[in-house]
Amino acid sequence: METQRVVSVPSEAAPQLEIHAPSAPVESQKKPKARGRTIVVTSGKGGVGKTTTTANLGIALASRGAKVVLVDADVGLRNLDLVLGLESRVRYHVLDVLEGKVSLADALVRDKRVQTLYLLAAAQDREKDDIATDAMIGLIEQLRGEFDYVLIDSPAGIEMGFKNAIAAADEAIVVCTPEVAAVRDVDRVVGLLGNRITVQLVVNRIRPALVRKGKMLSVDDVNAILRLPLLGVLGDAPDVIIATNRGEPVALDDASETGAAYRAIAARIAGEDVAAPQAAEPEGLLDKLGSFFGGRR
Amino acid sequence: MTARRIVVTSGKGGVGKTTTTANLGAALAQRGKRVILVDADIGLRNLDLVLGVEKRIVFDLVEVVEGRCQLRQALVRDKRFGENLAILPAAQTREKTAVTELQFAEVVTGLGDMCDYVLIDSPAGIEHGFRNAIAGAAEALVVTTPEVSAIRDADRVIGKLQERGLPMRLIVNRVRPEMVRTGEMMSVDDVCDILSAELVGIVPDDPEVIDTTNRGVPLVLDPAQRLGAIYIKIARRLEGEMIPFTQLGAGGFFGRIFEALRAG
Repeated sequence: METQRVVSVPSEAAPQLEIHAPSAPVESQKKPKARGRTIVVTSGKGGVGKTTTTANLGIALASRGAKVVLVDADVGLRNLDLVLGLESRVRYHVLDVLEGKVSLADALVRDKRVQTLYLLAAAQDREKDDIATDAMIGLIEQLRGEFDYVLIDSPAGIEMGFKNAIAAADEAIVVCTPEVAAVRDVDRVVGLLGNRITVQLVVNRIRPALVRKGKMLSVDDVNAILRLPLLGVLGDAPDVIIATNRGEPVALDDASETGAAYRAIAARIAGEDVAAPQAAEPEGLLDKLGSFFGGRR
Repeated sequence: MTARRIVVTSGKGGVGKTTTTANLGAALAQRGKRVILVDADIGLRNLDLVLGVEKRIVFDLVEVVEGRCQLRQALVRDKRFGENLAILPAAQTREKTAVTELQFAEVVTGLGDMCDYVLIDSPAGIEHGFRNAIAGAAEALVVTTPEVSAIRDADRVIGKLQERGLPMRLIVNRVRPEMVRTGEMMSVDDVCDILSAELVGIVPDDPEVIDTTNRGVPLVLDPAQRLGAIYIKIARRLEGEMIPFTQLGAGGFFGRIFEALRAG
């Protein structure tokens, strides 16, 4: 809308040529439109921590003062509202907005604990096919004009819900656990994300004791296959389950180690030079398992 | 067609569908039943990895449907169980929409003529892949964990199964008794109450399961694994035996889940 107004102002008085010329008054009115970052959190495999990661990074980024909106793309199986503890305050959802029943402002739920954090919930009683990819792209574009970060919580799998979730994202955080099944699924998803989207890796649920015993893949094992820029490593802590059940993400808890890890990841996303996540681990379990990848397709 | 055709599903991913399918299949096979496992997760297959047969796959489900091979040719036998256990792998480089519900149901019917049990490993979610997975099934096992999000998703899936008239029983996976006792985790009773579902198995959380699945060894074959005995119990319950449950603690502050379900 703003661009239209900019064009109409000089056209009245000035000859046509001047519209193309960079005259001073026009330039001052033409504020560069704010474009927030759009980041999809995805994984292929379910249950590896996409929603938990979305919620915690949202809180951590918003706590740094950024304006953040979290979008639940899991139509029919929404959970981001539960993990954030906002389920009782959800009145409208993405489809209500897309179908013009309510305005975007009406559908956004503001988190009272971190005032710059908002949630746009998914519809629970609808299907993923109900959202057209173009409509989703339009919605995310609208959101990025008003927020510093748009984090999109992708559903598991690589069907329509996944395709909608990644459609408008410029960046992706892929979450992987130290399991061969999770690694294989991430490998597949990274192939589908293509070259347009910048991908970074979060390895979740590492148990160093099991890694030392050779009973769990190490971060290096995982990334020997995936070869992605490592954004963060999270331990397997029971307080995360408790936090999820209570709807109080660990990033709100100053005493939580996992919360601190999420805050460090948020700082890294924001461009701070935070110490790199843990590096070398002992012997590779992967060698024992052998290779099971036919390459990315 | 004598086989029982059972879909293993959950809504939420990562709650243990594939692990359950593999281990329950192995337990039934060990008890002398002929079992065929079907991986319905086209594009993100993993059942082959969990059974350790990934290198022996020649054909897959999509190739069967497209008539490029015989159903029998696509089956990969798990030699550790003699003739009793085989898997029909999913295609890895195709889409779930490559197979229709009708085609999927025909494959499952075909497999039903060859064995006593067809266990279908459903993908996460409730999209096309899920609809395929339930299309050929006559009964369902719903796997959930004692977490609010898993329970809400299970509730949604149970609704979908009921629409289809599929009888359904519940496996509660990854229970941590010590957390149940301290009130930090829902008890199995709480979970069954919320979902109003009949229980067929309770599986405790054991971080070493990841190691056996990573290595492709079914738990019933690993004598160091206490969970093997639990899957054998579930297999016996499926066969109609009355086996009492070991209850793992009680307690709970989980009113908000009831609220959330009522809202959704």
